[in-house]
Amino acid sequence: MHLDPFELHRPTSLDATVRLAGDLAGRFDYLAGGTDLLPNYKMHLNLRPHLIALDRVPELRGRSLERLGAMERLADLERDPALRAAFPGLADAVSEVATPLVRASGTVGGNLLVETRCFFFNQSYFWRASLGFCLKADGDRCHVVPQKERCYATFSGDLAPPLIALDAEVEIAGADGRRRIPLAAMYDAGGDGIRRTTLAPGEIVVAVHLPSAARGLRSRYKKLRVRPSYDFPELGVAVAGRWEDGGRVERLRLAIGGAETYPRRFDDLTSALEGGTLSDERVRALAEAVGERVRPVHNTFLLPDYRRRMVAVYVRRALAEARAGRAG
Amino acid sequence: MASVERPTYRLLGQRIPYVEGPLKVTGRAEYTDDLRRPGMLVARLLRSPWPHARLRSIDTTAARALPGVYAVLTGERYPTPFGVLPITHDETAIAVGKARYTGDILAAVAAQDERTAEAALALVRVDVEELPEYSDPRTGIARVAEPIHARGLNGSNVQKEVVQDFGDVDAAFSQAAQTARVRGTFAGVTHAFTEPMATIAESTPDGRLTVWSATQVPHYLHRSLSEVLGIPMHRIRVIKPEVGGAFGGKSDPLPHEIVCAALAIETGRPVKLLFDREDVFYTNHGRHPTQNDVRIAVDADGRILAYDIEALIDGGAWSSFGTVTTYYNGVLSMGPYRVPNFRYHGRRVYTNRPPSGAMRAHGGTNIRYSVEVALDLLAEQLGRDPFDLRAINALPPNSTTVNEFRITSTSFLKCLAAAREKSGWDAKFRRLPYGRGVGLGCGFYISGSNSPIHFTPKMPQSTVHLKVDMDGGIAVHSMQADIGQGSNTLLAAIVAEVLGVDLERVHVQRVDSDVSPIDIGSYSSRVTFMMGNAARSAALDLRGQLIAAAAELLGRPAESIETTHERFQVRGAPEVGVSFAAALEKAMERVGALTATGAYSTTPKGGTFKGARAGTAPAYSFAAYVAQVDVDVETGEYHVEKIWAAFDCGRALNRLAVEGQIEGSIHMGLGQVMGESMNYRGARLFNPSFLEYKIPTADQMPEVEILLVAEDDPEGPFGAKEAGEGPLIATLPAVGNALYDAIGVRFTELPITPDRVLRGIDRRRREGRPWKGA
Amino acid sequence: MSSQELLSFRLNGQPVTTPCEPARILLDLLREDLEETGTKRGCDLGTCGCCTVLLDGRPTLSCLSLARLVEGCEVTTIEGVSPPQGLSPVQAAFVAHGATQCGFCTPGFVLTATALLKENPHPSREEIVRAISGNLCRCTGYTKIIEAIDAAARGGP
Ligand SMILES: Cc1cc2nc3c(=O)[nH]c(=O)nc-3n(C[C@H](O)[C@H](O)[C@H](O)COP(=O)(O)OP(=O)(O)OC[C@H]3O[C@@H](n4cnc5c(N)ncnc54)[C@H](O)[C@@H]3O)c2cc1C
Ligand code: SF4
Ligand code: FES
Ligand code: FES
Repeated sequence: MHLDPFELHRPTSLDATVRLAGDLAGRFDYLAGGTDLLPNYKMHLNLRPHLIALDRVPELRGRSLERLGAMERLADLERDPALRAAFPGLADAVSEVATPLVRASGTVGGNLLVETRCFFFNQSYFWRASLGFCLKADGDRCHVVPQKERCYATFSGDLAPPLIALDAEVEIAGADGRRRIPLAAMYDAGGDGIRRTTLAPGEIVVAVHLPSAARGLRSRYKKLRVRPSYDFPELGVAVAGRWEDGGRVERLRLAIGGAETYPRRFDDLTSALEGGTLSDERVRALAEAVGERVRPVHNTFLLPDYRRRMVAVYVRRALAEARAGRAG
Repeated sequence: MASVERPTYRLLGQRIPYVEGPLKVTGRAEYTDDLRRPGMLVARLLRSPWPHARLRSIDTTAARALPGVYAVLTGERYPTPFGVLPITHDETAIAVGKARYTGDILAAVAAQDERTAEAALALVRVDVEELPEYSDPRTGIARVAEPIHARGLNGSNVQKEVVQDFGDVDAAFSQAAQTARVRGTFAGVTHAFTEPMATIAESTPDGRLTVWSATQVPHYLHRSLSEVLGIPMHRIRVIKPEVGGAFGGKSDPLPHEIVCAALAIETGRPVKLLFDREDVFYTNHGRHPTQNDVRIAVDADGRILAYDIEALIDGGAWSSFGTVTTYYNGVLSMGPYRVPNFRYHGRRVYTNRPPSGAMRAHGGTNIRYSVEVALDLLAEQLGRDPFDLRAINALPPNSTTVNEFRITSTSFLKCLAAAREKSGWDAKFRRLPYGRGVGLGCGFYISGSNSPIHFTPKMPQSTVHLKVDMDGGIAVHSMQADIGQGSNTLLAAIVAEVLGVDLERVHVQRVDSDVSPIDIGSYSSRVTFMMGNAARSAALDLRGQLIAAAAELLGRPAESIETTHERFQVRGAPEVGVSFAAALEKAMERVGALTATGAYSTTPKGGTFKGARAGTAPAYSFAAYVAQVDVDVETGEYHVEKIWAAFDCGRALNRLAVEGQIEGSIHMGLGQVMGESMNYRGARLFNPSFLEYKIPTADQMPEVEILLVAEDDPEGPFGAKEAGEGPLIATLPAVGNALYDAIGVRFTELPITPDRVLRGIDRRRREGRPWKGA
Repeated sequence: MSSQELLSFRLNGQPVTTPCEPARILLDLLREDLEETGTKRGCDLGTCGCCTVLLDGRPTLSCLSLARLVEGCEVTTIEGVSPPQGLSPVQAAFVAHGATQCGFCTPGFVLTATALLKENPHPSREEIVRAISGNLCRCTGYTKIIEAIDAAARGGP
């Protein structure tokens, strides 16, 4: 499988990158580890004539407990004991992305911006052409939920839910300079499923910032997948919170990915638990309430009814394990 | 049974590393795509986006005109039908008249590079009339508006119907103490070998055609090339490079192999055709999606009185091995048990899906699952242990089945005993806590087929040639096809064993039809038995020549001479002897380089009724497996913790290879139970990729304990039978029955995915039938 | 066609300079341009591990790597892990333990295992399984591959 020709740019500073992005507006993709973009390119999904490789941009590097550069590779995060100690839920998620070989190249930024997935989309040009293209690439209708306005492809990145649960922020650079927003806000893109983030055209994710309050929370990520390796999440549940054993909950966050088009958090439900103890009964009620809200569609391997039913189970288990696990 | 003293051998029976192992671990082994020829062109295929369509016209003018394009072919150029079975030639190299599944080949291009070839394909204009799509075999049984093939039975899509009736099944059922019925549904699965298909072809000015291809049956490819291209076989040379796995998926002569050769002829240049992974999925020929209905009757002791079986088999677009499949789904359901009355009705129906064909444990896997689940049910109904039920029904050695299979060796009872003991069955069965369980599944498979497809059984199925020259190296020629199962190593080891020489003297030559004598290749688990016997007899011939020379040198009668390590000596007087080298030199005096040949033919056996030959084999393998599972009863996810695999392959000639075959078979069987499936919606395949076709990964593999307890087979080479396919079969029912023991749910639909497990648990709870107290 | 700039990197210890267009995938460059065919193509989409090479020592899928981005890097393929004569310890263990059947996945496994043992000379069984969980093998059921890596770690064949 060869790639169609494109021009490759390798800027060596963030400024140069942003400038280039301005010049090539709408005609390029960023290339980080390439483990998501290149398979999609090989399948002729939304090709652009230019690629801007980010591997030589020093500002995107660096890893500490406060900041993860966008170009940090998942394999390096996985091998970082300090990170695991501080953010166990995030570490769970990192080590469950794809396979060790994919994690060797895959990056934090690429994972946050991984293309949404659907049985009708992640297919070769031949396959898609034979059925009729869909609105996410080359076409104008949706095969999953028949209509022409909205795409229901599944957000399948593993890192977003645990980072959202930690109240992480993203640092973004663009023509108008740099800004920092809550990661959750980056995904709050309005909901047509085509626009995946609130990033302006050409904006780049520079780093993820972890607030100091996130350190040492009890946290957990539970991933539903068909095989223990390779497979994208069919559901990913992240919880993070602070409480003493048997004591009152000071803080609780819960985020879900792998189930809908955008990762989602459930602050109204979780904050209702703050101030009280995490009794089995409350955990169960929370799990059921979350399960009520999540609505997967039939565009991944496992059936949507099953995935939906698993939401409550996985939420409950994530909390149980976070409860049992020591605070970081 | 009187036990004969078992001879031991110097090499055979040891753990013999693969002779080509060092090439494989260094990346030096040459697979088809690793080869290139000067001036080689690249071929690409235009595939049908339609599941079923009449081809009105295909306009290739623009494609031909593209610079860098050397040839564009459509179906009319080589329209001769072919197929692996001479009685069902329903394929063409490129579609003629109709496209029969999404992925069918409509045109082929040879161009200077891949991009040019793809650009050319985009310029081909195809005008079609779309036809009704048939994706459900049930609707293809009756007459249909537009039969997929004209040869469908009475205007239907039925490709093959088999009806067999032995004894008096209805009477047996009316006398039964217990009966059980299982209706199984099986998704299609595919071989998923790691090496995509690849072919290189070159037509040379001397009028010859050479084809290098990733095939497991070079001889059938050779024949089909000749038939379709209209070139006599002696002007075609087929070479089999290293093959990266096949499992039946490279056993049919495949259209793309012929297309590649045709393009080489058209262009006069070497042409390479390499498949993408997606092409491999469309080519399929994997295990058939199947529905079966199994009824078994037993008497009060649990003795089997009768089987009554129906099978509805989704064949996909072509016949392939389907006629055999249709028979096998019946006849392979009986052994390892004695079944006095047997009725079978099998139908294989064409659909507009990628063709199904032969896949490891072909025809014996899906039906076995339903039978073994039915036996598990019967054991429960009778309150008997599943092992005891199997044991009282075991086919005895040297017996004949109701359909006249000749059973020679069987160590089935030993397998049962070993699996029961080693698994700790008696302490576990129905005694593990809710969610955990053990299950028994048994297996039976042919060790080769008595019927060679293309010639009478009088013609040898295997021939082996040996040549030794002054260098003392022994060159071995045979068209047996090593596809990773270790047949080269076995061939070398048998020759070395008989001649008493070191393994490193023996060089197995690459399969090349110009020099390799015919062997019909790697399928139906025939190679060890048939090639092994041929190799043994060739080596005995050569040894005879060397012993005669040694006798002459020593001045002793040949009968008194025995073979030891690299030496021939007088029996009882080991100090009197000559070295291998000396005997060789002497033997060469008159004839120069020594040559020897050996062959193996099956003697026709079996009954005289229609279809009697299907499933007859010179020997059969037997298996008894126990699986232990651990189910997460809240999510339906489960883990196979361990499998105890007792297998009767006769004598294991290369323990390392036999273990590898069993472990690999279990992995593949596990895939079919746990998650592998060709996911169709209608005729459309939704998961033509390794991401969505769920081959088990390393972290899903259970611990495997292999129990090789068999006696020698009287006719197999050095007592051996097969271990390439049979070991897969028992895996599936062992897991299915273990799940029952764990959670009290019978699964009759494969794969058993977590959502299905959970639904089963729900159902049982709803019905208010607790299991193990839960 | 886009510019055919020259690409320089080290391949198995030797400097290489070769024309390389931007859209060239490392696997294609290795197999087709440089004729290093030990690296296998099983899926082209990151889903089998047959194409694994070591990129500055870390196992990497060459089918998902743009060749131009290895400028200045050290690439080790299966051709680069064996001594001129004989086999590396991992390779020898793969042969002795029957960890290679059809052999098509083997170069990928050998490289993955070689990198694992470099980083973690005495891995547990779980660590071995985890390390190879991105390489598919359809022949062996992984059992003998795990045994071979374990044996190589213990210093035996
Ligand atoms: C077999 C296989 C299995 C996989 N399984 C999983 C899985 O289980 N879970 C999972 O989460 N992922 C999975 N992936 C997807 C992917 O490998 C990972 O998400 C990985 O982290 C992506 O990172 P990357 O650097 O390779 O991204 P790239 O492919 O380089 O980029 C992905 C997208 O992000 C954009 N992008 C990258 N960096 C930036 C940036 N700094 N700013 C703005 N845009 C940017 C790119 O333009 C592109 O659109 C799998 C991939 C494969 C091939
Ligand atoms: S959800 Fe609909 S629009 Fe989106 S990728 Fe799938 S089929 Fe296309
Ligand atoms: S070829 Fe690269 S992972 Fe399969
Ligand atoms: S040895 Fe064949 S795929 Fe691994």
